[in-house]
Amino acid sequence: MIRVALIGNPNVGKSLLFNNLTGGRAHVGNWPGKTVERKVGRCRYKGEDLEIVDLPGTYSLTAHSIDELIARDYIVKEKPDVVIDIVDASNLERNLYLTLQLLELEANVVIALNKYDIAKSLGYEVDADMLSKILGVYVVPTVATTKEGMEELLEAVIKAAREKRRRKVAISYGKAAEELISRVERAILKDKELSSTYPTRWLAIKVLEGDGEVLKEIERSPCRDEILEVIR
Amino acid sequence: MEIPLAMLHENEEAEVVGIRGGRGLVRRLSELGLTPGTKIKVLLSNSPGPVLIDVRGSRIALGRGLLMKIMVNLEVDS
Repeated sequence: MIRVALIGNPNVGKSLLFNNLTGGRAHVGNWPGKTVERKVGRCRYKGEDLEIVDLPGTYSLTAHSIDELIARDYIVKEKPDVVIDIVDASNLERNLYLTLQLLELEANVVIALNKYDIAKSLGYEVDADMLSKILGVYVVPTVATTKEGMEELLEAVIKAAREKRRRKVAISYGKAAEELISRVERAILKDKELSSTYPTRWLAIKVLEGDGEVLKEIERSPCRDEILEVIR
Repeated sequence: MEIPLAMLHENEEAEVVGIRGGRGLVRRLSELGLTPGTKIKVLLSNSPGPVLIDVRGSRIALGRGLLMKIMVNLEVDS
């Protein structure tokens, strides 16, 4: 079974796409101890079983609010085989911020370029192939309201799941920051458990950002003094 | 003229100049798309409660205290 997570900014058509893929047979489930809901659905396509999880809409993956944290925890800890990042094609600039964060998290991303019809009617021409080349992930134009592109999206998800590629996009933060990032990363790599659970570069960046949840995790590591020394 | 975003009336447009706040606030607001140079528009401001603004094609509601920390430039021509 392929485990798929749906993520995207609020109001990009996540839930509509979710219902399209799962045929509206979705049932609603609760996260343990949390009030924000997630939906789980199933879908069969060409003999493949897919479990699809609809995550709360979010602009970013920091630890600011409970829904962002749920989305992030799911991707980091449950490690879905594929993450479908639903992007509003009529508002690319804003949406691609979350995409970059997902890539930094080393998720196996497939981009659904949704609202493709609206983008077109606004006169935007989105070069899906070019976007795919730049980001190194599959990009599929979709229109969730008319169910356009759903088959192509599922094809891309299955291909991505088989390839199991976790592309590392390195977004450079400049020489000074990069030096610190690699110092923290080197210290993190000494803790086998930590470095096998999380993407190390992402973890290093979050340590430097002072991300509360990540720092809590670091506190438990036997290598914590060495890791935290850099930010002292 | 540089004024806090809280001073804008409904339907007024402006450009974000900067954020008078700490690192956490600057970070949070930039995630929401409020970076210097961004054009914003006040959509709804008719109660003492939060104000609805348009930022990069999304509508977000922010409290008035927070809006005092966002400095904007009123554009002469929009």
